[in-house]
Amino acid sequence: MESQQDRRLIWKKLGLAILGFLLFVLALGLMKEGSGGLAPLLRGHLDVTNAADSMGLGWLMAYLILSGSPVAAAAVALLSAGALLPLQAFTMVAGSRLGACLIVLLVGLIYILRGHEQQTALTAGILSLLLTGSVQLAALPMGLLILSRGWLGRLSIPALDGLAAGVSRGLEPLIGPLAAFLPGWALFVAGVGLVTLSFRLFDRALPQVRLERTNLGQISRLVYRPEVMFLMGLVVTLFTLSVSISVGILVPLSARGYMRRENIIPYILGANISTLADTLVAAALLGDPQAVTVVVTHMICAAIVSLLIILLAYRPYERAISGTLAWITRQRSNFALFLGAIFVIPVMLIFL
Amino acid sequence: MKILLCTNGSTHTVRALNLGMHVARAAASSVDILAVVERDQEEEVSQLAEAAAADLEEADIPVTIHRRTGRMAEQVIRQAQATPCDLVIIGSRGRRGVTRLLLGSAALQVIEHAPVPVLVVKGHTRDLKRFLVCSSAGPVSEHTVRFAGRLAQALDASVTLLHVMSQLPLAEGALPYDLQASAEQLIQRGSREGVHFSRMLNLLTAEGATAHTVVRHGLVRDEIIAEAREGQYDLLVTGAHVTPGLNARLVDDLSTDILLAANRPVLVVR
Repeated sequence: MESQQDRRLIWKKLGLAILGFLLFVLALGLMKEGSGGLAPLLRGHLDVTNAADSMGLGWLMAYLILSGSPVAAAAVALLSAGALLPLQAFTMVAGSRLGACLIVLLVGLIYILRGHEQQTALTAGILSLLLTGSVQLAALPMGLLILSRGWLGRLSIPALDGLAAGVSRGLEPLIGPLAAFLPGWALFVAGVGLVTLSFRLFDRALPQVRLERTNLGQISRLVYRPEVMFLMGLVVTLFTLSVSISVGILVPLSARGYMRRENIIPYILGANISTLADTLVAAALLGDPQAVTVVVTHMICAAIVSLLIILLAYRPYERAISGTLAWITRQRSNFALFLGAIFVIPVMLIFL
Repeated sequence: MKILLCTNGSTHTVRALNLGMHVARAAASSVDILAVVERDQEEEVSQLAEAAAADLEEADIPVTIHRRTGRMAEQVIRQAQATPCDLVIIGSRGRRGVTRLLLGSAALQVIEHAPVPVLVVKGHTRDLKRFLVCSSAGPVSEHTVRFAGRLAQALDASVTLLHVMSQLPLAEGALPYDLQASAEQLIQRGSREGVHFSRMLNLLTAEGATAHTVVRHGLVRDEIIAEAREGQYDLLVTGAHVTPGLNARLVDDLSTDILLAANRPVLVVR
């Protein structure tokens, strides 16, 4: 009886994964088709003309749809359609990573409104933002240098090239008539909506990972080596594609929902790298080497910065992050300042 | 308690020998003195060992002198493995950074391989009257606390039991109270750490030591070092948390970190 139920569950998850993938592919096609029509809007009305603008745009878009991956996919679609330059797509992806942390903060704010303790509710969100922000700050100039000098050339993933061509041919009869009816911006918005939906389906299709019986089962009590937690974050997120989901996998390891800060900091650093795997697949499916290069550059820069931190400066970094987190959660006024900053900075990036 | 005192004639091992003799007079039933000849100092090292032996024998403590030639760390480990003892006392030069990387640390090697607790004498050395015992709130702590209690009772020292809460609340239902509470509040509430504290205090009382508890909040190694400095303790006591095998590759070696960062004697209990 149980095995029949298990089998049914496996088929259901497989179905969800296939449906999610098909929606993902369709969404990419719609976004690419719609991006052409968005170029005048971006450059004219929104004044997205440089890398700082696109970073602010990616950041705010991720706030708006409460997710980073659809925005990163949109960035590569816009690049592929020529609506953004590689440097702009790169910073938009970076902005999407920063904006993605808001969902965790927002969930925390809702808990506070329901009467939960401020520290409990906000820790995960603030920590994600601090870690992502600090890595992006160092990775940005590095990535911009690599892209502007063309050091990586034009990359492609040969295994997915054939698939990209097939996808493009397969979608043509579906997207062509839609493009005739709808304006470019509407196609793009529909694409963003569908890609968000596809990620939700992927989340539901994920298998339940159980770490309780592994050697890493005492994450709330023991202090693990940062290299171990970094690798674990990287690998788990490669399969879950989402930092918040991969952190959620750790939570059952502690009966009280606690995690040692020594363990969670390197874990999120690792997770921040592999969370872009879905954007890499999106770039490859668009069949655009430029888009693949931008995503790979982003992953390489984030990996270099994170590895340098882990191997050379982990203790001071851990101390700085822990101290900043303590400062933000100490008083409501500090948190208000932090909250103000994370909304003002992206707006300033666009309008200044 | 049988104690192994080690010297190779260098200044830091002489300091270790002096402190070791003080510990031995209070706590030892017998003492082994290991005289290691690393260079051409055989006579000097022998004289040191014999003087220490004479001093201890005056206090009616039976002493055996062992002489070995070779590298200090290697010989101490061999001696500890060959002749059973309850505690090894060695000195540490306190090398840091590149020097430690190039020349290694005898104390670290001994801690890693010796089968028994090791007291490393370094930094500010004075009578051991105030112990800071670091407790991980896990099963390993029990042995550490019991050993520290026995030594504290013999030396008439007070014990402060320290636990560091470095955890962050990450789940929806996680309550932050335990993460902000003092040791007394944790004990009153009967939280996991509170229950652990009560058990450890009972163990210390059973060993005849006077003890109290402290909880700090923050990064484990930073808070331990901060408490050691602020509390003016004479000895830091920590368990050798890392067990050989896969765990040694996964778990951070906090006892080594504490030993490197501390500027006073450290006892690593295995």
